[in-house]
Amino acid sequence: MVSVDPQIWIAAFFTIAATSYAFRDNVVFKFAENTFIGVAAGHTIVMGVKNIRDYGWTHIMQGEMIYSVAFLLGILLYARFHRDYYWLYRYPIAFLVGNGIGISIRAAIHSDFIVQVAATASPLIKSDALGTVNALITFVGVVTSISHFIFTQEKIHEGAIGIVPKIGRWMMLLAFGASFGNTVMSRFGMYQGRIIFLLREWLQII
Amino acid sequence: MSIWEKMTSLPREIVMGLVLIAMIIPAMNPLGLPLFTGDMSRAWYNTVDALPAGSVVLFDVGYGSGGYPSLGPGNIAAFHQMFEKDLKIVMMATALEGSMMYPLVMEGVKPEQNYGAVYGEDYVFLGYIAGGQTAMAGVLGDLKALVSVDYEGTSVDSLSIMDNVNGADDFDLVAYMTTAGGTAEGWVYQAYSQYNADVLGGCLSMMTTSIKPYYDSGQILGIMDGIKGAADLEFLTGHPGDAIVSSDILSFTQALVLIFILIGNVSFWMTRGKGEAS
Repeated sequence: MVSVDPQIWIAAFFTIAATSYAFRDNVVFKFAENTFIGVAAGHTIVMGVKNIRDYGWTHIMQGEMIYSVAFLLGILLYARFHRDYYWLYRYPIAFLVGNGIGISIRAAIHSDFIVQVAATASPLIKSDALGTVNALITFVGVVTSISHFIFTQEKIHEGAIGIVPKIGRWMMLLAFGASFGNTVMSRFGMYQGRIIFLLREWLQII
Repeated sequence: MSIWEKMTSLPREIVMGLVLIAMIIPAMNPLGLPLFTGDMSRAWYNTVDALPAGSVVLFDVGYGSGGYPSLGPGNIAAFHQMFEKDLKIVMMATALEGSMMYPLVMEGVKPEQNYGAVYGEDYVFLGYIAGGQTAMAGVLGDLKALVSVDYEGTSVDSLSIMDNVNGADDFDLVAYMTTAGGTAEGWVYQAYSQYNADVLGGCLSMMTTSIKPYYDSGQILGIMDGIKGAADLEFLTGHPGDAIVSSDILSFTQALVLIFILIGNVSFWMTRGKGEAS
């Protein structure tokens, strides 16, 4: 028996409308696309206002006047729309960029470089055979892939030693293949979730 | 036009139609194909399982409606395990739509009915916090300086779960589920690298290859790898749901993709000589 809940019908309609693009571009898809953009924009505005209220205005009302600086910087972002005072928007941008880099750079170097190098350089012989194979593949993959990007020494890409960057290229192609396989699985994972919704919640046949 | 030439230019309507059929058949007639739980999912389960009752978990619902079919079922299974173990969950969202996913997930878990959990005592939702890594740093650094009210506007000072929660040191575990690569890395940077916190990461399957180096190097203790990881968690926690239903569909459709790849390659090789000649 088909659902009688109007919410389910709306969700089912937009699911079918959105996925109809996979077959051919059509007016129903365009309607769904524009509706989604409108709803998403509306939701973004509401959440933006809520954020300003919860994480800015509330603090100012509690007497924490330092938050008024954040408000001032936020307002200055809109200066870019003014012909004469557009340069003022550079101050909040500079603050955002500096803050973002400052917060992430130390941790990025630690997590993406130091810890990764340490993990790659750990003993290749593990307690189990599979662990040893994994460690060897990782080690060979890292060394050969890095060698592929050495462009200042042409000779490394020639002759007998040229096999090393070639292995690196194959290693990267294997990684791209794994990424592609995972991407296909991800997309199907999203699509099948909607198929299950249509069959169970809307048509109620499973 | 030979059969191989026709195969190299299959209309996408036919491909999509076959994919649709390959999804509907196993959905209506589950095949019950065997499910092998992966290392990363088992590591997630074991990490949560090792936490004593009363431990506090910071959980980021960092995905929106597009990510819900992949991450929602795993999120529900993860919360089942956490509520079963009587853990305290402080939830937040680094994704704008995360606040819309929260009620969907809680509808699947039903913590009040199933576990007698009480909002404000056993779990809380702080809502969407803008800023990405800045928000993470703020929550882990001095939570109450950043967040004064929960999603509903209730003062966090009036919620007993927040009594002793001020920052990273008060969280026994940081877990996230996200569709954003920056968020997945951000939690590693801000929670593990900055505070040496225990971190669990849930992500779309397509992100796993970029997140796995953090798991291999011990910076993430477990990964929930998209819908496959969600099925693993549902199986391990004993709460079968949409992800286990999806496993059959996934196996069926992946097999179809393999067939298409084979057809595409064979057709390419069979018609390559003709193309070069012309």
